[in-house]
Amino acid sequence: MNDLSQHVSSPQKLQLEIAQLIIDTLNLEDIAAADIPADQPLFGAGLGLDSVDALELALALQKRYEIRIASDSKDARQHFSTIASLAAFVQAQRTACVA
Amino acid sequence: MIDVRIEQWRAWAPGLDNEDAWRAWAEAPHKLPDNGEQPNCDFLPAMQRRRLSRLARMTLEAAWPLCDEQEQLPLVFASRHGESPRTYALLSDLVAEEPLSPTQFGLSVHNAIAGQWSMLRGQRGESVAIAGEADTFEHAMLEAAMLLTEGAPAVIVVIAEERPAQAYEPWIHDVPFSYALALRLGGSAGRHWQLRLERNTGDTHAGDPSIGAWPHALDFLRALHTGSASLEHIWKTRRWIWQPLP
Repeated sequence: MNDLSQHVSSPQKLQLEIAQLIIDTLNLEDIAAADIPADQPLFGAGLGLDSVDALELALALQKRYEIRIASDSKDARQHFSTIASLAAFVQAQRTACVA
Repeated sequence: MIDVRIEQWRAWAPGLDNEDAWRAWAEAPHKLPDNGEQPNCDFLPAMQRRRLSRLARMTLEAAWPLCDEQEQLPLVFASRHGESPRTYALLSDLVAEEPLSPTQFGLSVHNAIAGQWSMLRGQRGESVAIAGEADTFEHAMLEAAMLLTEGAPAVIVVIAEERPAQAYEPWIHDVPFSYALALRLGGSAGRHWQLRLERNTGDTHAGDPSIGAWPHALDFLRALHTGSASLEHIWKTRRWIWQPLP
């Protein structure tokens, strides 16, 4: 994993990191970070996560990336729809925090 | 006085996951090393296993085959100590002023495992989660007997205990190792036992497992395997007498 991540570009690296965070946080078995397509829906028919997972994941993202996720954000559903959208959201938040 | 018939039983403990292993243990009981092992529960898809705690896995592993897919049976889940490792972890987060995990918080109730059984098995009927003292096992059996009297065709009883968080060890003496015992109690078939309660006026600590006896559920499990005569389980003012009937 580490060797791989050194050779991929930054957005993909962040996506893999988030996929691994999802696996570790939600205790998913029999699945590797690379097995979750970045554009696969995380909730419902896709990976199959539910609303409790969303809360758990929001907490883990806030801890890991030191970002804030407003619970009443209308955009949250959009941000949490796929790994790609989550990575873009995290990247934007980090940029905003640094700026 | 109550009559129960044990139609089937299954148990799990670290290293003891089949009937032969339990029979050997029953004949020569000893304290098992407990290094946090847990059943795989691979009869469930991975996505359904993700929120199962160790105690939940032990419960499901033991009880799963005792209820047919088409059956709707009441469940009695009994545990004296519940999930003390989870409680301790949540309290530790509070002390550290860390936010609590929504999943862990949501599952930190005594009937969480009964709820998971209900959802995973599509059981829409009654379930009871009880916690008592060292004689929690007898109270669970009494509860099951009452459900049978009310007309249930059979009842699943699970008694499950987990080694406590280290901080609680000085106060918890009756969990020599983690274990789960699941019993299917029925109306007419199976091994017939009678349970009687008398007032204990003698030594109130005679049944304290910290002084050498096994937890009541494990002692009963031994009797199921070895076909022993009657059992006496004493706790405080209560003297429970188990008598096998032909």
